[in-house]
Amino acid sequence: MAALRAERICKSFRGLFKRKEVLHQVSLSIEEGEVFGILGPNGAGKTTLMSIFSTLIRPDDGKLEVLGFDALRDTHAVRERINISSGNPNFPWSLTVRENLNHSGMLYGLYGRDLARSVDEAISSFELEAHVDSKFETLSTGLKQRVSLAKSILNRPEILFLDEPTSGLDPEMAMKTRALIHRIYQEEKITVVLTTHYMPEAEELCDRIAFLREGKLIALGTPGELKRALKIGDRIFIDYEGEIDPMCLRIIPGVMDVRHSRGRVEVVFDRTEGTLGGIIRAFVGAEILDMGLEKPDLEDVFLELAR
Amino acid sequence: MSWRGELNKLLSATYKNWIISKRNVFTVFELVFWPFIGLLSIGLLTRFLDVADDMVAFVLVGAIALSILQISQIDVAYILLFDLWSKSIKQTFVAPVRGYHLVLGAMLFGVARGSAVFIILAAASRYLFGFNFLAGGLIVVLIFLAGIFITAASIGMAVCISILLFGQRADVAAWSLSGIMMLVSGVYYPVSILPWPLQILSKSIPLTYFLEYYRFAYGYGSHQVLLGMALALLYFAASLLILNLAIERARTTGMMLRLSE
Repeated sequence: MAALRAERICKSFRGLFKRKEVLHQVSLSIEEGEVFGILGPNGAGKTTLMSIFSTLIRPDDGKLEVLGFDALRDTHAVRERINISSGNPNFPWSLTVRENLNHSGMLYGLYGRDLARSVDEAISSFELEAHVDSKFETLSTGLKQRVSLAKSILNRPEILFLDEPTSGLDPEMAMKTRALIHRIYQEEKITVVLTTHYMPEAEELCDRIAFLREGKLIALGTPGELKRALKIGDRIFIDYEGEIDPMCLRIIPGVMDVRHSRGRVEVVFDRTEGTLGGIIRAFVGAEILDMGLEKPDLEDVFLELAR
Repeated sequence: MSWRGELNKLLSATYKNWIISKRNVFTVFELVFWPFIGLLSIGLLTRFLDVADDMVAFVLVGAIALSILQISQIDVAYILLFDLWSKSIKQTFVAPVRGYHLVLGAMLFGVARGSAVFIILAAASRYLFGFNFLAGGLIVVLIFLAGIFITAASIGMAVCISILLFGQRADVAAWSLSGIMMLVSGVYYPVSILPWPLQILSKSIPLTYFLEYYRFAYGYGSHQVLLGMALALLYFAASLLILNLAIERARTTGMMLRLSE
C-alpha cells in the first residue's frame, strides 16, 4: 500500500517581477515501510517537495494523498501521523534542549508520562543527555541537528521526513544517525523520506530514489535500476603489452563502451553472465600487466542526471 | 486526540512564553519598571496640575488599562514573534496545532501577566495617590479586565496576521497598534475632545467602552459596556478566523518557509 501518493504536484513562488516555477508536475508513489530518497542538485526543488509532503506549504496544483488521507484537505490528520527534521534546524533559542523537546511534544498533543517517556527516549536515541540543560543557541550545528532528529521521533510518526539528516554531523554521529534511520524503518516499519547530498548515504539507506532537476522528476527507481537505465556499468581497466583488437571487445555482449589508448584499455560493461570472461579472453595474444575493476556508485548516477 | 492532548497543545504556547519570559531580564521591565514609571509620571502630573480626585482616577484608570493592554497583547503576538526571531516558525506549523490552540495558550499567559501588572499598579496607585481601584466593586474590575484581555488578544492576533501576510518587517506592528489605540480610545482624555472622525473611530474600539465602564464607577459619564463586550468578542472571533486564513495563505505563498530562513 502506498504511504504517500503525489500526482502532478506543481509549485511556483512569486518573485520580484515574475513567478518562478519550483516544481513541475511531480508524480510519485512511496510504499509503506520504504526508505525513499529525493536527490538532486541545489535548487532542484527537494526542500519544497518535502515541505509540501509534510503539509507545511500547499502546492499550486496536483493531488497529494498521505497515509490514505487527502493531504490538502485533512491536513491535521496527516500532521498527527508524520514528523519532519529539517536541514539547518532552528528552535526557540533561549529554551534548553529538554524544554524544546517538551514544547514540541506538547505541540503534538503528548502529555504526562507519555510526553516524559518520549522526550527521554529521544534524548537517549540521539545521545543528548549531556546537553539537556543547554540552551539551543549555545549548541553546535551538529547538536542542533541531533535535537531536530530527536524532535522528529517524539510522536512516533508513521512517515518521517528527513531533510539532509546528517548535514553538520561528525562522521561518527552521521554513521549512528544512519544506523538509527535503518533501525527505525526495520523495527518500527516507519516510512522514511529523506533528501541528501551525500550519495553513499542514499545508496546505503534508500530502497528507491527520485532524482529532481529544475523542479522536474527525471528519474525514479532503485539504485541498481537507475544505474542500468543510465547505462552506468562496471568499469574494468587493463594495462597490457602486445597486440589486441579493441573492435573485438565492442562486440562482446554486455559491453557498453570501450576506450583504448597505448597499452591501456578501459571497458564499461553491464555485469551480465560471460561478459567479464569474454573481455579477458580478448587479451589471449597479449600479456596483462595490471588490471582493476571499479563499480559505479550513486555519485555517477547523480553526475549523469545532473548534467 | 484526547481532551488532555488538546489541552497540552494549547498549553504549549503558555509553556514557551513562560520559559522565555522567566529567562529574560526584559520581563522585569515589561512587568514592573515601565508600567510603574508610566503610572508614576501620570500620577505626578495630576499632582502638579492639581486636578480634582475624580480626574486623578480618570487618568490613572487610563494608565493602568494601557499597561495591561500592552503586556497582554504582546504575549499573544509572541506566538509568532519568538518563532520569527529564532527562525523556528516551521517547527510550530508542521505540528498538528490550530490557530486557537496557540492564541488561547498565549492568551492564558497574557492574562496572568496582565493581572500581575494590574495588581502591581493598583497597589502602587492606592499607596501613592490614594486611588481605590475597588471603588466600583470586584465585578466591575473583573469585567474591565476581561474586556481588556479580549481586546488585547485581538491586537496580538492582528500583529501575527501582519507578519504572516507581509513578512518579518511587519513585526513593527507589535509596537504600533496599542499606540494607535491610546490615541483614539480615550486613555488619558474623554473621546469627546477628539475631532469627529476620530470620535467615530473610537466607537469602533472596545477599549473605549471598557474605560468608560470603569470610570463610570468613579462617577464619570455613562457607559455601554455590553456593546463594548459584544464588539470585543466579535473582533476576537473575526481575528481568529482571519489568523487561520492568514496561516493558510502563508502556506500557499511560501511565506511560511521564508519566515524560517
